This record gives sequence, C-alpha cells and structure tokens, in this order.
Amino acid sequence: MNGPYELDALARARRAFLGRGTLGLGALALHSLGLAPADTPRLPHFTPRARRVVYLFQAGGPSPFETFDEKPLLRERHGEALPPSVLGGQRLTGMSGNQAILPMAGSFTPFRQHGRSGLHISDLLPHTARIADQLCVVRTMHTEAINHDPAITFFCTGSQISGRPAMGAWAAYGLGADSRELPAFVVLVSKDAQRDQPLYARLWGTGFLPGEYQGVPFRPGASPVLFLDNPEGVTSGARREQLAALAALHRDQFVHEEDAAIRARQAAAELAFRMQASVPEVADVSNEPAEVFALYGEGARQAGTYAANCLLARRLLERGVRFVQLFHQGWDQHGSLPRDLTRQCQQTDQASAALVADLQRRGLLEDTLVVWGGEFGRTAYCQGKLTKDDYGRDHHPRCFSMWLAGGGVRAGHVHGRTDPFGYNIEDGAVHVHDLHATMLHLLGCDHERLTWRFQGRDYRLTDVAGRVVRELLA
Amino acid sequence: MRAPATTHGSLRVRGLLLLAALAATLPAQTHWAFEPPQKNVPTTTDPWCRDDIDHCVLALLATTKQRPAKAAEPALLLRRAHLVLTGLPPTTDQVAAFLADTTSDAYERRVDELLRSDACAEHLATDWLDLARFADTYGFQSDFECRTWPFRDWLIRAFAADMPWDQFVREVLAGDLLPDATIRTRTATAFWRLHRQTNEGGSIDEEWRHEYIADRTDTFGAAFLGLTIGCARCHDHKSDPITQRDYYSLGSFFQIDEAGLYPYSTGGTPQPALRLATPEQAAEIARLQNVMAAAERVHTEAMVQAEPVGVVAVPKAIARFQFAATVNGSCRDDLAERDANVPAECVPVDGQSGGAIVCDGDARITVPKLPAFTRDAAFSVRLGLWCKDRKERAVVLHTSHYTEDADTQGYQVLLKDGRLCWEIVHHWPGSAIAVCMHEELPLQRWCDVVLTYDGSSRASGLAVFLDGQLGRVDVVRDHLAGPATVRQLELGGRDRDRGFAGGRLEHFALFDRALSAAEVALLAGKPVEEGPRVAHLRAHAPAVVAANVAWREARLALHGYVEAIPELMVMQAHGQPPARFVLRRGAYDQPLRDQPVQPNVPASLLPPGASGPRDRLALAAWLNEPSHPLAARVVVDRMWALCFGRGLVSTPDNFGRLGVRPSQQVLLDALACDFARDRSQKNLLRRIVCSATFRQSSTASAAEREADPHNERLARGPSFRLSAEVLRDQALAASGLLHQEVGGPSVKPWQPPGLWRDAGVGWGGSDYAPDTGPNAHRRSLYTFRKRTSGPPDMLALDAGSREVCSVRRQPTDTPLQALVFLNDPVFTECAAALATAALQRAPADVEQQLVFVVQSLAALAPRAAELAALRALHATEPEALRALTLVASTCMASDAVVVLR
Repeated sequence: MNGPYELDALARARRAFLGRGTLGLGALALHSLGLAPADTPRLPHFTPRARRVVYLFQAGGPSPFETFDEKPLLRERHGEALPPSVLGGQRLTGMSGNQAILPMAGSFTPFRQHGRSGLHISDLLPHTARIADQLCVVRTMHTEAINHDPAITFFCTGSQISGRPAMGAWAAYGLGADSRELPAFVVLVSKDAQRDQPLYARLWGTGFLPGEYQGVPFRPGASPVLFLDNPEGVTSGARREQLAALAALHRDQFVHEEDAAIRARQAAAELAFRMQASVPEVADVSNEPAEVFALYGEGARQAGTYAANCLLARRLLERGVRFVQLFHQGWDQHGSLPRDLTRQCQQTDQASAALVADLQRRGLLEDTLVVWGGEFGRTAYCQGKLTKDDYGRDHHPRCFSMWLAGGGVRAGHVHGRTDPFGYNIEDGAVHVHDLHATMLHLLGCDHERLTWRFQGRDYRLTDVAGRVVRELLA
Repeated sequence: MRAPATTHGSLRVRGLLLLAALAATLPAQTHWAFEPPQKNVPTTTDPWCRDDIDHCVLALLATTKQRPAKAAEPALLLRRAHLVLTGLPPTTDQVAAFLADTTSDAYERRVDELLRSDACAEHLATDWLDLARFADTYGFQSDFECRTWPFRDWLIRAFAADMPWDQFVREVLAGDLLPDATIRTRTATAFWRLHRQTNEGGSIDEEWRHEYIADRTDTFGAAFLGLTIGCARCHDHKSDPITQRDYYSLGSFFQIDEAGLYPYSTGGTPQPALRLATPEQAAEIARLQNVMAAAERVHTEAMVQAEPVGVVAVPKAIARFQFAATVNGSCRDDLAERDANVPAECVPVDGQSGGAIVCDGDARITVPKLPAFTRDAAFSVRLGLWCKDRKERAVVLHTSHYTEDADTQGYQVLLKDGRLCWEIVHHWPGSAIAVCMHEELPLQRWCDVVLTYDGSSRASGLAVFLDGQLGRVDVVRDHLAGPATVRQLELGGRDRDRGFAGGRLEHFALFDRALSAAEVALLAGKPVEEGPRVAHLRAHAPAVVAANVAWREARLALHGYVEAIPELMVMQAHGQPPARFVLRRGAYDQPLRDQPVQPNVPASLLPPGASGPRDRLALAAWLNEPSHPLAARVVVDRMWALCFGRGLVSTPDNFGRLGVRPSQQVLLDALACDFARDRSQKNLLRRIVCSATFRQSSTASAAEREADPHNERLARGPSFRLSAEVLRDQALAASGLLHQEVGGPSVKPWQPPGLWRDAGVGWGGSDYAPDTGPNAHRRSLYTFRKRTSGPPDMLALDAGSREVCSVRRQPTDTPLQALVFLNDPVFTECAAALATAALQRAPADVEQQLVFVVQSLAALAPRAAELAALRALHATEPEALRALTLVASTCMASDAVVVLR
C-alpha cells in the first residue's frame, strides 16, 4: 500500500539528508532502500553466513546436568560432599555459599545418544533429540555474573550493569532490517512461563544507540505493537486522509524551512501507516495449515505461548526481521528441580525443535542463526536439602550448555569439555563475549569494528574482549 | 554519529600504552577544558547586539562575512520562550496579547514572568531528573517501588527560588554536613541514593556496595564535571588526567554505612535514611524527646536515691529449653505450652550437666510462639553453648528471616572472627546497635552466656556475660533508627547464612527484662559481690521501677510517633568507614592492599582547597572554586542546550580530551565567567533568551543547513525536536486538560494495560493501576517511572530509562513516534478536548476553529496552504467534533508542533 507521499519523497529526503550526528528516520526505512546515511557503518564487514538471528532465551539458568551435559560421576557419588579441590575457593552465591555441606546431586533423568552425530541429550528433550544433527552444542559457556539480573543483562547487552544496547539493537544498528514494514528487532515474551525471575525492558533496550534500534515487544493479540490501532472511530480511510493532510502540512513547512528532517518525519508517519497493516498480518497465524500446529504443538494456536512465539518468530524472520528474541522464564530451579525442570522442558522442547525443522524445510535455516540458552548454569551440588528423589541447584557461572543451529555453525557437533563434576571447564571455554563475537561474525560483522562513540569512547557489544570461536563455525 | 575508526578495544596493547604514556606526558593544562575560563568578549558596535552573547556570535560570523538571520516572527519567538523556559506552550490569548503589546520591553517582561512561574521551576527540574537517574523503583531484579519524590520536590523548590548555584552544589553534595543542616538540605543529598539497587537473593553484599559507590562517582563526573571518569575504575584514564587512584579517592567521599542489598521481605527504606518530618511533626518530636530525656533523668536520680533493701533472687525465665529433653524432634518448654522443633540433623551429645545437641550448621532449631520483643522492651537471653572451632562467622541465634544481606531484623547472637556478638537490628548495618566481646569466645568448653538488653535503643544498653561475669565489649554499631521486628526465633543457623556447625547447645532461656549482674552471677552459681548486689536492689526499688516504666513509655511514645513518619534515603557521614583501596580492574574482591585511598579530589583538575576535613563539604567547596575549570562551563553548556537544543560543546557528556572542542569557546567561557560570579541560573537563562542570537529566525535555506547542519555558528535561531515530556505537556496544556498542581508523589497517567505484567517484570503479576481524575493529566515530570518498564510513550519519544546518569538524549524520528501522536489515547484525548474547546470558541466558523487548533499548538497562525490542507481534511468528516478532532490529532504529529522553530 502506497501512502500519498512515498518513496520519491524519501529519496529526496535522503539526498537532502542531515549531516553527521543526526539519523532522522534511520535504519528502519533507509537501510532497506539502500539509503542509509553515509555515516552509518558500512556493513557487513564481510560476507555473512547468517542474515538473521532468532535467540531462544531460556531465562533463569537451565541446568546442563539434566539437558546437554551428562555427568555419571554425580550419580555415582550422589549425596557426597563436592570435594573442596573442585570448588577451588570460587565464590558461590549468598544462597548456598554458607551451607555447611555441598552434596553432589546426580541427574534424575537418563541421557541417550541421538542422530548420526550421536549427541547426548536427556530424555526430557525428546523433540530436541530429533534435531540433534542440526545442533552445535556448546558445553563450556561461562559468564562473569552469578545472580540473575546482572547475568541476564550481561548476556543480552554484553555488560552487567549500565544501560548498554542489546545484542539485537547492535544487529539492527549494524545491518538494519530487510523489511520496510517491520522493526529490525522484535522481542517475544512467553505468557505461559513460570515467572520466577523477572525480565527488564533494558534487555532489549537501545542504550546509547538511537531509539530506532530498540527491540519492539510484540504482545499477544490483535494489536501486537503498542499504539498500533487507530483510536476508536478513526477508520483506515480517515487515517489516510490524515496522512494526506499531514503530507500537505509538511510540504508547506518544507517550502519555508527547507529542513530535510521534515521529510523524514513524514516518511516515518507513512511507515507507521504501513506497519498498521503489516504487523497484524504477521501476527495472525490463523491461515497456517494444521500440520504447522502439529509441528509446533497445539499450544501454538494460543497467542503468547512459547510455541506461538516460535511460530511467530518464523513468520517475522520470513518477512525480513533481523533479530527476534524470545524469552521464556521459569528455569531457576533452586529446589524441586525434577518436577519443575520437567515442566520447563515440556513447555519448550517441541516448539524449539519445530522452529529449527520449519526453518530448515523452508530453506531458511542455512542463513538463520538459532541460539538456545540461559544466563548461567547450575551447581553440581544440591542447594538446600538433598533427598532421595528431590534436589535443587544454585546458580553456577563457571560452565553451562547452550546450543546453536543454522546459519554457518557446525551441525551435529559438541564443543568443549567440562570436568567430571560439571563444575569447571577442562577444554574449549566460550565466554559470553566470545559468543557475541561469534554471532556478529556469522552476521558478517567484525565485533571490534561495530562501534558507537559515546562519552568519548567507542563502545562495542563485546566491550574490550571477545574472540570468534572458529571451532563453532561450519 | 561518527564513523567507527579506532575503538577502545581494538587498540593493541602497545597502542594503549602509547596513549597512556602520551596522556602522562601531556600536562593537564594543554586541554582547553582543564584551564580556567577567561572572559574575552570581542567588542563590536553593531546595534544588533543586545548582550555579550551577540558580540561573540557576531565576531565569529564576521570572520566568514556572514550576518545574523532576521528576527523570528513574534508569535514563534513567544512560543520559543514559553517552551524553553516552562516546557508549556503559550495560549492563543497570550499570543494575541503579546502581538498587541507594542511596548519596547514586552518580550523581556514576558520572559521575566515566565522565569517566575512554577512551570519554569518544574521544567528546570525535569532536566535534572535525567542527571539524577530519578525513578520511582529500585531498578534491579524485582524492581520494588521506592519513595524518591521528595527529592523532585526539593529540585522544584530550588529552581523556584533560583537557588544560587554554589548553594545548590553545597546542598546536593553535603546538605547533611552543613552547620545549619535541615530536613530540606538533607533531602537534597538523596541525589546520591537514586542509583539502582538490588535485593536479589544471593547477591554478594560487598560487590553491590562497591557498585553503588561507583555509580555515585560516575554520576559526579558526568553531572558536575562533564567527564567520563568511569574509565578510571579499571585503569588510569587513557586520555584525561584522572588516575585510577583519583577515581577511588573521589569515590571515598561517597561511602556511607549501607548494605549492598535493599530489604526484600521486611520493607522499609534502605539506610541511612531521613525522617521527613513536617515542621509540626519536628516540633512534636522535640517535645517527645524532651519528655523522654526528663523521664530518663528521673530514673537516674531515683537510682541514686533508692535504698538497697531486700535480697537478690534467682530470676525467673519466661521460656526455658533443655535440649537433652528432645523427643522425636520436639523439645518441650519447661515453663510454658510450647515446643521447639529440633531437626534430626541436630543429634544428641554429652552436655555439661546433662545432655546437649550438636548443630550441623545448616539445620535450625525453631522456637515458635515466643513473645516478640520490640526495641523498647528490656529482655535477656541465656545460652549454654560449646564452640568447636574459631568461627569467622556463625549464627548462634536470630529472629529474622534471611541472612543480613538484606533482611536481618530483630535480635541475634553471632560469632564474628571468634568473638561473640549481640545485636538489635532494624536494617543492617545502617540502623542497628551491636556489641562484640573484646576477647574471643573460649573453644571446646561449655560457656554459660547471658545477653541482656535494657530497651534503650543504645549500644550501651547491651551487655554480654560469660560464666556469670560481665564481659568487656566493643561497640560495633550504635544507631538504631527504626523498629527491630522479631519473627520466629531460630538457633544454630539461618537460611543463606553460616550456621553454628559443630557447635553444641545445652539450654536456652528467655527473660522479659534485663537481668542484673547480680542475677546473672546467681544463675551461674557464683557469689554475688557487693557492688552488683546494691545496684540490683536499687534498680528494684519501687520508685525506680516506676520511673523505669515511665521512661519506657516515653520511649514508646517517641518511637511510635517517629516511625510513622515516611523516610527518604539520604547521605550521612559514615562513623567508621571501612578501609578503602584501589580495586584491581575494578573488581570488588581484588582490593590492592598496598594502595589504600582517602577522600580526595582529582588534583590535576584543580588542587584541593585549604586544609580541613576531606568530606563532601570540601568536595562542594572545590567544585565552587571560581577558578574551577569545568564546574561553571558544564552548567552554562547545559543551560545553553536547554535553549538551543544542543550545547556549545557537542559532547556534553565529555568535556575531556576525547570530547569535541566547543564551537564557540569564547562565548562559552564568557558566560561561564559571568556565571561563576553571579551563580543565578535564571539570570543566565534570561540573558540567553533575551539575546539577539536567540531571537533570530531559525529558517534557513537547504544550502545554509548543509553548510552548518547543527547551527554551530549560530547564524540562525534555535530549532529542535521537543522532548518527550514537553510534547505530552504541550498537548495537555493546549487542550486545556493539564492539571497544574506543583509537587507531590508521582502519578500514573494512562498507559496500555498489562505492560508491567506482560513484560514479565515485577513480582506476583503486579500491574500498573492508572490514576483517574486530575492526576491523569499532571505534567510529565510527575509520571511514575518504573525502571524495568518505563512509560511507553515517553520511551518512544526518546526519554531514557533512568538507569544511570544521562547527560543528553538521542533524538530520533521513528514510525513508533507517529503512532504515539496519532493513536496514543493520551494524545487523542487531548485532540478531542482541543477540538471541543475550538468548537466552543467559534461555534459557527470552521476557519476560526481550525486557526484556534493550530495556534493553540503552534502559536503561529496557519499559512494559507496549511489552512487549505486542514480544511480539506475537515471536509472528509461530516460530524463537526470528529472532523475537528481529526484535524487536531493530525496537527499534533506535524513538524510545526513537534519541533521548536
């Protein structure tokens, strides 16, 4: 649908565009038209392996011991104190750090090997097991934070504390969107999750980058983006008349002011008008065939569930959104782990696997990076009271598992080795900064060159660290 | 934006060293901003000039043979002045009156009126809220609500009174240390407590305490020095003369006696805190304090005069447990119907005179249904215990919930570094009384411990007896400023804390009064000496007992009254600040013990003043030195940005070497010199808005804009996109909906329902409950700010999230903003109200209605083409109110309204 004051105006606006220091309309429209301001970074730096990212964030810290990193030793020595030599004097959280005894806890669930790759995956994840040959499991992630808020902030923004831009904001800033009608960075929060640890707008915030790179949360329902609907009584026709009038006002204002920002403002209004049609369209899954719901699970029919969000993520990616980040809370199993972790896996396993399979059969997986994981792992020892069939695990930042799939990563591969206790890394450590560097690399960006000057310093997603983990690349 | 070239991280180590070496060899004076400003105004005789500002501008323009622009249209100039000084637009009547006023000083008089208005104070305060990272919630994790609005009221009052800048600095930095400190001046110091805080379980107290100090230090640098000193947290600043040592020395000014976590389950205000008593309340507090002091005097005198008559008897406990009597995990109270729960992990062991139990450090003995003593009650605890090994820390007995990282409240007996400690806690450590025995507790032998408290809320009221002997103690804390609410009593450990592992307990008893030394001796089977005997008998003489009751009632009255008065987090000097060191790479757990630091200013910028205590008052004096190179420039630049949308320094967050040199340093320095003398922010604002420079038209040709896109040469007047707050307030004001009430608690205007819940923020599914009535239409500076989920329309319009100190916002134009103007019910409600007002104003004349709508929002009457466009839009809708609402709504998204021109 074309507004009354469309592309030519935008092109002219581009020619007259403001000089350095102002972005005007910015990436959302200009990048898509190849009209990005001259001083946005010239990206990608090199040929990308992935054009888009979907990040399935499992908030709370999923336990690796019951998912992707089997430790028979813990089962054998279940209940014995974790040897102090293993602890190595590392700091523990204030929740279990003062316990007089730290008893080892073995996984309640068995593991099996799957696929041609023979990946070890626990029985809690039968659907994920079926895509084993697509997965690149990293067992040796590690992070610097030990509590949820700093840890999840670190994962999402590359910094524990201050308001830095989110990963998706960096991707949007660097690469813009392939869509003219949808934001570059979309956030989907599960409604069906256990809300044990909160989420924060800063996790998809834009920090010091301009506001247009902000993650836009899509909410369940007919009006997924805030303020998308016309006020009551204003029809689409009336809105078009308003835009025509606005265009006329702006045309006259431009005659007097000759300020290109006026045209950018009009272009933004036109784009908003198009979004009013395109956003509900992408969010409406009612036309998806029954077999899609069979694949993702019937829960995908209910807007806002993890399954529905996985399906919506695929639709957004298909339409050119650069970065989709899902959040599913509830992985913070300090106690009652066997019961609650089972619930978490049941809520997410099928849809996570379905998304990978769906992207693959549509030919999108090869240039879509899928990432699954939480903000830290969990302790090999039990927090609180260990009983015969119940236990909990405290936060553990020193090693944990994630998986990647698609766009340029090695499929059917396991990276890194943790010690037999699952407490320390023996080989192949991957820091959060390394993961970010690798993700940006797959997107064609040199993480050291994707920068933004703020307060006299060039900031990056990876701060002053990070290395591309070549071993993960296909 | 600048093209990414070098980056902080991509520089190779050698490059870093080089740069560091460069910074070290360059004397600080070689950078413009580190030299004191000099006033050096070029003199011109051009009649265009009204102020030194104009002489500076004209001189610069002359170098390129440019002339200033013509004067702005009067209606636009009036709009500019209103928006810049008050954040609200002029009404159509004000525009008409101004246009009709032909006196030569019409504009100046209008400016003076605006400067005097409450709206001006509110607008200036709004600017400071970003610097103050002001919000209504703590920000991290569960993001509970905190009470901060009294600081906003302080700001508004300070600006309303045009508080001299040096006083402003003194009150914000050291309002608690002033010789004539008042509740008002101490309120100003809340500025340093507005950083985010956490209460996430398991967080490491020390880590967060350092984090808070770092935030204060960084905020000081950004808000008052215009420098990014945070770089020096990990290493010497690479480009500016701030060493890592400077950074930690500066941070030392901001140490207070605080916890790293704010209370999770006990509620209340993080300490130190100030009771915000009204003058009436303060008078009543003084009265109650006098009553209490008098009652104490009566008690003291009665003690002196009392006759020691009678004998000392063995005191009666109100609860007593002999753990040898434990059966099936239950131990019966010898004296009352209650049972202690003894977990299976606490196994029987030989005691001193019978049986005992041994603790494992994790399992706790719980004793339900005990009396919940308040801090005004006297009581005593007796324990028979045996300690296996020297404890760095162990909980023996407590009445709180979690460990002291956030939630300790009540009374407790701990072992710290081998010493027995006795504490009454409101919030640890800022509000507590605590003593520790001077000697370490004997190990591997039975100890008969009695701990007494006299209900005075003073450390001197705590006593510790070992085997019947009064022990020598050291006072650890002596400032109990709130209730010490007792929950269930536990022995042997505490959730998330270190327990009494390997320690043995034989008996535990509770007494509902402070035992005397004589009684304790009796309990221990020791002979009672003459001194304690006489003291005991005196204390139990009828007159003394009566005086004691009266004294306790006076305390209860005072505390009951005071504790009902709301608190505010403030700064308060730390009695015993912990030793502070440079932290290796900023890590809280890696202090460099060979590099201790004391409070000190970065002397490379300006040496510290005369000797005297190195406290925040001295820091304020340093900042107020007329020769300070940065202080006045930073304020002047901020005021300039308020008027022109952009500072003279285009990197207001960085006046350092990596910042950009000001486009017009002569102008900046002239204003800074004058401001350092005059110290009135409103005088400065008046000068700027009355200057010929400000009064120029902002219209420019495309070529002129291309030549000077940011108007650095000031050859035209200001034009910039209005801020989020001004845009909303403008809509509310123009439509007549604005409720102008100054100050008070934050308000919750409408926002889309479910946001707090849907984002997964907050606990227990709490959601935003919008205000109805007048509070729905207050100015935007009063809008409730939840840090983890800010007001969505404000955020869409580039308002920050208030997580850290922010010196400037990044203005953008996005489609989401268009959606806000056209669809946000807050704006569409304004459009409808404005349309209604226009209909009432000119019921029969559409053209007049249209003009009224445009002028209400943009001050300037619409041009013919604009009017034609609006008339066309109006004609598409037959119903008059709806047609006019469409028009008003469209105008709210239009350049003439969204932008100050």
